Amino acid sequence: MHITLTVNGERHELVAHPAETLLEALRSRLELTGTKRGCNHGVCGACTVLLDGKLARSCLALAVDVGDREVTTVEAFSELSDVQRALIDSGAIQCGFCTPGFVMALTELFKRNPKPDREAIRAALAGNLCRCSGYVKIVEAAERLAHDR
Amino acid sequence: VEYVAPTNLEAAYRALEAEDARCLAGGQSLVAMMNLGLVSPARLVSLRCIASLRGVEAQRDGSLRIGAMATHAELAQLKHSSPSARLLAHAARVVAYPAVRAWGTIGGSVAHADPAADYPVVLVAAGATIEIGSARGTRRVPAQDFFRGLFDTALGKGEIVTAIHLPPGAPDVPCKYEKLSLVAGDFAILSVAAIGAEVTIGGYAPRPLRMDEIPKTQAMADQRASAEYRRRVLPELVKRCTSH
Repeated sequence: MHITLTVNGERHELVAHPAETLLEALRSRLELTGTKRGCNHGVCGACTVLLDGKLARSCLALAVDVGDREVTTVEAFSELSDVQRALIDSGAIQCGFCTPGFVMALTELFKRNPKPDREAIRAALAGNLCRCSGYVKIVEAAERLAHDR
Repeated sequence: VEYVAPTNLEAAYRALEAEDARCLAGGQSLVAMMNLGLVSPARLVSLRCIASLRGVEAQRDGSLRIGAMATHAELAQLKHSSPSARLLAHAARVVAYPAVRAWGTIGGSVAHADPAADYPVVLVAAGATIEIGSARGTRRVPAQDFFRGLFDTALGKGEIVTAIHLPPGAPDVPCKYEKLSLVAGDFAILSVAAIGAEVTIGGYAPRPLRMDEIPKTQAMADQRASAEYRRRVLPELVKRCTSH
């Protein structure tokens, strides 16, 4: 099927198989490989993107069903965002595979709530798994960012 | 596989007549199952563009009509004083994770009928009715009769869950939902919903049960817990749920 995807403000015309996920279309057709394929069934959060500003699992959205919703991926930040810098400054990255998903989840959180407390941070990150189990530093990074704002 | 996105229900009913056609709502269960190779529908009928499936409307009799495409995130914000609506809002807040709540829908969850999901038990407890549409017209089925078993509902071929109706009720009737899961956001090992003294149990059997059905029912055993575990923790969960 011929579809149009708006990703990070740019319109792309592409052909996608009806069963193809947004994740596959981003990675394979648009070569936006910042969004990671982890479990591919909605559990791990590595493929988290924003759809019209709301968090979404790109592995659970079909590319053909995205329609006119705007997709935002980690590539939207051509320069490091505050969230990315906070993660780096706190050493909140180990293997880095889960990081794009955490960046998107924290980006959405800070847009909605500029001063989240620990509870709000933990709730916002509940759907993102870090197999290095580096959660403490990720939460600390978010707390530091909230404090500095 | 073929994909269509009709803009009204009549067109959706026609599209569903095809062999092995399936509705696509929020995709949070169906796309996961497709990715895992558990289902491969011949035609996907997206309900995303059908405006009449959206929105929550208070009815004149105090009941609520919830469009099937209402998301968990929308329902988590539901402001309505009836015990059934408060119970549903509570359950919507603990469905999965933020990214799933933003796009997953109540109609999709209800039609999927996972016994470990939050809505089946809560809708039975709430005395909700499920509105079902098809080319033949609309019918309403009480939630108690709608959920038949493991991924099994009263839905027939060509039918779509179009809305959920919550009955009116006094604002001072206490209600509570207790969910036991391994980690926050996971499916329930067991869940208990109570309105007043009426208790309904989810995750114990393939369909939600009333308290008096428990003694004559074999508890489920699955990857989440053994039957013995479920039997042993149920009384504690019921106690927590009924101590208002």
